[in-house]
Amino acid sequence: MEGYIVSLIIFTAIFALFGLGLNLQWGFTGLINFGHVAFMAVGGYVTVLLSDLDVPLPLLIWLPLCVLIGSIFAALLGLLIGLSTVRLREDYLAIVTIGVSEMVRLVALNEEWLTRGAFGVQGFPLPLQGFAPTLLTRIGMLAIFTGVVALGYWQLWKWLRQRLKGISRQAIIRSSLAVSGYLGSLGLLLYGTVIGARQLKLAEGIPAWLVGLTLLGALVAIISLYTWLARQTIPRLPDWSAGLSLVSCLLSLVTGLWIYQFAAHAIYTYSRTSIKTGLMFISVLVVALIFWGLQKLVRSPWGRVLKAIREDEEVAKALGKNVFWYKLQALMLGGLVAGVAGALYAWQLTTVYPDNFQPLVTFNAWTIVVLGGAGNNVGTLLGAAIFWAYQTMTRFILADIVPLDDARLGAFRVMIIGLLLMVLMVLRPQGILGKKEELTLGR
Amino acid sequence: MADNSHSLLSAKNLYKSFGGIKAVDNASIEVPKGSITGLIGPNGAGKTTLFNLLSNFIRPDSGEIVFDGEPIQQLQPHQIAQQGMVRTFQVARVLSRLSVMENMLLATQQQSGENFWNVWFHPGRVLKEERSQRERASEILESVGLSHMAQEYAGALSGGQRKLLEIARALMVQPKLILLDEPAAGVNPTLINKICEHIVQWNREGLSFLVIEHNMDVIMSLCDRVWVLAEGRNLASGTPTEVQKNTQVLEAYLGQ
Repeated sequence: MEGYIVSLIIFTAIFALFGLGLNLQWGFTGLINFGHVAFMAVGGYVTVLLSDLDVPLPLLIWLPLCVLIGSIFAALLGLLIGLSTVRLREDYLAIVTIGVSEMVRLVALNEEWLTRGAFGVQGFPLPLQGFAPTLLTRIGMLAIFTGVVALGYWQLWKWLRQRLKGISRQAIIRSSLAVSGYLGSLGLLLYGTVIGARQLKLAEGIPAWLVGLTLLGALVAIISLYTWLARQTIPRLPDWSAGLSLVSCLLSLVTGLWIYQFAAHAIYTYSRTSIKTGLMFISVLVVALIFWGLQKLVRSPWGRVLKAIREDEEVAKALGKNVFWYKLQALMLGGLVAGVAGALYAWQLTTVYPDNFQPLVTFNAWTIVVLGGAGNNVGTLLGAAIFWAYQTMTRFILADIVPLDDARLGAFRVMIIGLLLMVLMVLRPQGILGKKEELTLGR
Repeated sequence: MADNSHSLLSAKNLYKSFGGIKAVDNASIEVPKGSITGLIGPNGAGKTTLFNLLSNFIRPDSGEIVFDGEPIQQLQPHQIAQQGMVRTFQVARVLSRLSVMENMLLATQQQSGENFWNVWFHPGRVLKEERSQRERASEILESVGLSHMAQEYAGALSGGQRKLLEIARALMVQPKLILLDEPAAGVNPTLINKICEHIVQWNREGLSFLVIEHNMDVIMSLCDRVWVLAEGRNLASGTPTEVQKNTQVLEAYLGQ
């Protein structure tokens, strides 16, 4: 379990970073980048290939340097894309970027002298390899890790307090009770469905199509019932969204602490062999640092120019902003962040194949950003967490209840993501943390 | 023609054709320092195209433009704005998902916070500048009567308010010359009067204007000098009263 949780945290952190890069380019600047994985590929490959060289430097210095150089290469790729697409807009930029990402992957596949092609790069040094901290160091690491988590919770608390300001205590209690009842019963029903479906699947003699159909029918019935219920209750519960915020904050507090205790235990028992724990520690710190840096940026005058370009670049030009230069900066900085994600990704995979950088990875980042709400960095973090929670949970649950073989199940999981995104677009097109009023504004 | 040393903006022999259509055909214009100059002409005369050429949003096929003693036809649009010539758009363009205040603050030139390095490593300086700009923006918003909307999304403004915001935003640039493209179009008469009062007041404070407008009352009350454009060519220029008596101008407008 602990191993699963640690790797879940690593993947979430990597894809949070990856999504943050895309969010800067698309969510804030409006550049449609369908080839984001190219930055990750460049960052990952350059980092591991460099780190494999014989350099008279201790790994503790050389590895961060490799990541830095790798992410600078990713940024240079952003510069290249930007310079070559000066005159392109929107859809055309999207086409070029998807082409670039495929080009990067195909170069990695075919230039075997450099990347060892389809055999993959392996055996490269990993961070904190053979690192055996003393008890004091471990406690120090634990303190730093706890500090990052506590900062996160503190931000959540500040947000919640802001959210609940001016709403009477009674209304909050009433609406959060209603919301917990709603969510609790929904959870129980879904859980019951899962149990039932598992029994059905285990039972001999029932054809697979019938199992599938029953499961589908049950889900459709539950969803329609609860949509109807929500339609009935929401008009009578004016402060329902405050209750929802409170309940979801509590939920994330509990899940967060539950996950935290595994991570904390992993760090506390850190030894020479627990290389993943070290990577988890590093990834979380890197995400926290980059998130903080990006938050500073997007709230600054610099971020304001990016948003202005997203809204109307002619206006930005008319007000004396060098639109082209800012677009380049967004592409490069977003690429740099994705490059760092690429290095972490390579370390997590321990073997890097060109196939790790399929276009699908780009669309995972898009899913994350859209899910959380474009132009919202917190939303991207949340999106990454939800995305990986989904990936992990479905791996365990779906195999038990859906009558499909493994290969089809993989495709089925992607289909469900697509379906969920469609539902999200209908119910909440602005994403989970997006602002609804922004959708209704005229140009 | 005004003496060259007194002219803030002067454009000579501008040409621009789109395919076979000569949108601007050998047009010239001159804006003296400290003036409010009008630009009129029938629909399709090439007024807005001329604006686009002056601010270099569209490159002229030929001709020269001198602003404040410097040739500017080689500059990028944003560089021209940085030199002190700001344009507005015929249909007011606001940045919808930014607040009214953010729209204003964006227009400030030479912000150190627009460099990401400074945001990380000189946050104090950025914050201080931001604070003083916020004050200035509040004053301008107050004067155009938009201060109660400062924290709203600019996309929530009405058409007339958008026009006001666009002019106020241009003012934040601290320009020498503002090109106004139909400031009174689609605006109710009371608001038109208010806009005109502001333009006159800002003009007294030393700002020059070049105004495209179909509303002749506005032109008459505001402008020192009017240029008339028809089919991309200069038709006439002079004081508003002179222009109004000009038979060619009357013909162009009435289509006789």
